[in-house]
Amino acid sequence: MIPFHRVLSVAVALACAGIADTQAQGAASCPSPIPVALTTPLTGAIALLGIQAKLGVEFAIDEINAAGGIGGKQVKLATEDATASATTALNTMNRLLEGKPVVVFSSMISPHVFTQNDAIKKGETLVLAAGTNAQLTKQANPWLVRFHVHDGQLADAVPRYVVESMKKSKPAILAVSDDYGLGASKGLQAAFERLKVKPVAVESYGLADKDMTAQLTKIKSAGADVILLWGRPGDVAIVLKQRRALGIEIPVIGNPSTVAATTVANLTPEEADGAIGIGGMLAQASPDPRAQEFAKKVLDKTKVPVDNFGVAYRDAVYMIKTVIEKVGCDRAKMRDELRAIKDWKGLLISYVADRDGDLAHTMGIYRNKGKTTEFVGTIQEPGF
Amino acid sequence: MLQLLLNGLAMGAIYALIALGLLQIFNAVRIVNFAQGQLLMLGAFFGLAGVNQLHLPIWAVYLATFAAMALIGLVFMLVAYYPLRGKPFYLVILTTIAVGIVLENLVLIIWGPLPQSLPSPFGSAQWRLGDVVISTHVVFIFFTTAVLLAAQWWFLMCTRFGRMVQATSQDMEMARLVGVRVRHTIAVAFMLGAVLAGAGGLLVAPLFLAEPSMGGALGLKAFVVSVIGGFGNLYGAVIAGLLLGVVETLAAGYISSNFRDAFAFLLMVAFLFVRPQGLFGEKQSERV
Repeated sequence: MIPFHRVLSVAVALACAGIADTQAQGAASCPSPIPVALTTPLTGAIALLGIQAKLGVEFAIDEINAAGGIGGKQVKLATEDATASATTALNTMNRLLEGKPVVVFSSMISPHVFTQNDAIKKGETLVLAAGTNAQLTKQANPWLVRFHVHDGQLADAVPRYVVESMKKSKPAILAVSDDYGLGASKGLQAAFERLKVKPVAVESYGLADKDMTAQLTKIKSAGADVILLWGRPGDVAIVLKQRRALGIEIPVIGNPSTVAATTVANLTPEEADGAIGIGGMLAQASPDPRAQEFAKKVLDKTKVPVDNFGVAYRDAVYMIKTVIEKVGCDRAKMRDELRAIKDWKGLLISYVADRDGDLAHTMGIYRNKGKTTEFVGTIQEPGF
Repeated sequence: MLQLLLNGLAMGAIYALIALGLLQIFNAVRIVNFAQGQLLMLGAFFGLAGVNQLHLPIWAVYLATFAAMALIGLVFMLVAYYPLRGKPFYLVILTTIAVGIVLENLVLIIWGPLPQSLPSPFGSAQWRLGDVVISTHVVFIFFTTAVLLAAQWWFLMCTRFGRMVQATSQDMEMARLVGVRVRHTIAVAFMLGAVLAGAGGLLVAPLFLAEPSMGGALGLKAFVVSVIGGFGNLYGAVIAGLLLGVVETLAAGYISSNFRDAFAFLLMVAFLFVRPQGLFGEKQSERV
C-alpha cells in the first residue's frame, strides 16, 4: 500500500504543476519580456507623490521577476517622468503607448489623467490610474481603471465621521487650491450641507505657499472646533507646524497626507499628535505583519517611507499579474477581466470593480499618537 | 488682527532677507539673479546635509553652509555671469534662470523630492502674550534680518570694499581705470549674495521644510520686494519685504486666501505704474 504522505506529495506536486501550467498558458500570448509602462511625476513640486508610484511599481515588479516572472516571462518596465505638467503627462503617455506596453500605470494627479483620456481611448491599452478626482472614471473610457479611493468617497465619509463619531459641529475646511484640494473642498461642503452642518470657515492656499498662518488665524477666530485639511504631505506638514506655532489646539482631520510617514517625519511629536487621516491604506501602521514587512523592505531599499500610493501601486501590479495569468496579454481580454474583478485580495484591502471602473472601496482611518501613526479602523463605501 | 500683523511681519522679514541677497549681486553688476531662490534652497539642503549626514553641531552647520555657499557663489559667477559679461543683460538673466533650473534638478537627484525639516537652533519654543503667539525662531529671523541689514549697510557705506562695489556698479570701466579690481569685487559680491541666500535657506527651512522646488516662489517674491522697494536699495528691500508680508497676510485674512499671491503681484504692478523706481529707488532712464 502506498503511504498516505506520498499520495499527498504527488497530489500537491500535480496541483502546483497544474497552476504553473495555467499561468504559463495565460502568459503564452505575451511578448517576452512582458512590456509594462509607468508615467508619474518624478520631478517638480509633486515629485514626492510620483516617487510613491515608482517605488510601488518597481518593488512589485522586482519581486515578481525574482520569483520567476509571469508564466516564466520577466516583466520589463518603461518609466517616463510626467513632471507636474499635464501637457508633459500627455506626451509621456503618447510616447509610452508607442512602445506597445500591455498595460500602463498612470499618475495619481487627476489633471494628468484627464489630459491623457483621449490618448488612452485611442491607444486601446489598459491604463490603471490613481487620480482622486471623482469624475475621472466617469468619462466613458473602458480602458481606464482606478485602483485608489477617490474624493467622492472621502467627501462622503469624512464629514459623516466628523459629525457622527467626533461629534463636531463647527468644521473649518482648509485645502490646497488646485484641482485636488478645491475639488475635495467642494465635495466636503456639499456633504456637510446634507448633514445640515455649515462650515464656519472655508479657506485655501496655493501649492507653493509656505505661510498659512493667515488662514489658520482666521479659522481660529471663526470658532471652528475641527479643521478638515486637504493637501500634499509637504504643505500639510507646514500647516501642522504653523498650527502648533500659533498655539491652535483645534483637532485636525484630513486626507492621508495628514498621517503619511513623509509628513510625520518632518514634525515634532507635539506637532503631529492627534491628527487624523482618512483615505488610502498605510502599510507601516497596519497590524498585518505582511504589510509591515513590505513597508520595511521599501524603506530599506529606497530610503523613502511608503505611503498610501506606494501600497496601491504595488497592488495594481499584482492585480495585473493575476489578470495576465488568467487571460494572457490580449488587451481587450485584460480590460474585461480587470473590469470584472471581484474580491481580489491586495496587501491591505480587497478590490472590487464597479460599473465605472473604480476598484477601491475601502478607506483607512489613522491617527497620529505623537510621531507614531496608529490604525483606527476602516470605512467601507456603502454598497461594497 | 495683532496676530495677523505679526504673521505678516514674520513673512515680510523672510522676504526681506532673500531680497538682501538679491540686491548684493544687483548692486555689483546691475543684473537680477533669478536663481536667488534656488541658491536659498541649496543653502537649506547644505544645512540638512550638515545635520543629517555629517551630524555637525548646529553652529558648525551654519558656518559650513556659509563657506559652501561662498564657493557656490564664485562658481555661479564663473558660469552664469563671467562668460557673458559685456553681452546684453537679458542673456545673463536667462542664464541665471537656467542655472536655477539646473540647481533644482541637481538637488532633486542628490537629495530626492521629499520635504525635510531642519531643526531650529531654538527648538520649537514659543512666546505667548494673551492671544498672540510668536515662535522663538521667528524672533530669530527678525533679529537676523536686522543684523544683516546693518552689516550690509556698514559693508557698502563704511568699508573700502563696499565703495569699490558701488563704483563697479555705477561704471565698471571707470572703476577699473581708478584701480578697482573689478573682477575680484564682482566675485566677492556674488559670494556674499550666495551666502545671504544660504542664510535665508537655513532660516526658512525650520519653518517651511526644505524641498527642491521651494526656491521658485520665494525667489519671485524677492523680485517683487525689490521692485517695490527700489532695486539695489537696502532700506527699500527691508521695508518693501515687511510691507509685502503684511499686505499678503491681511488680504488672505480679511479678503480671500485664494488670491493671496495675486495681491502680491497686483501690488507690484501698481508700483510699476505709479512709482516705477520703487519706494526708495532713484529715477532711471532704463529699468530691468
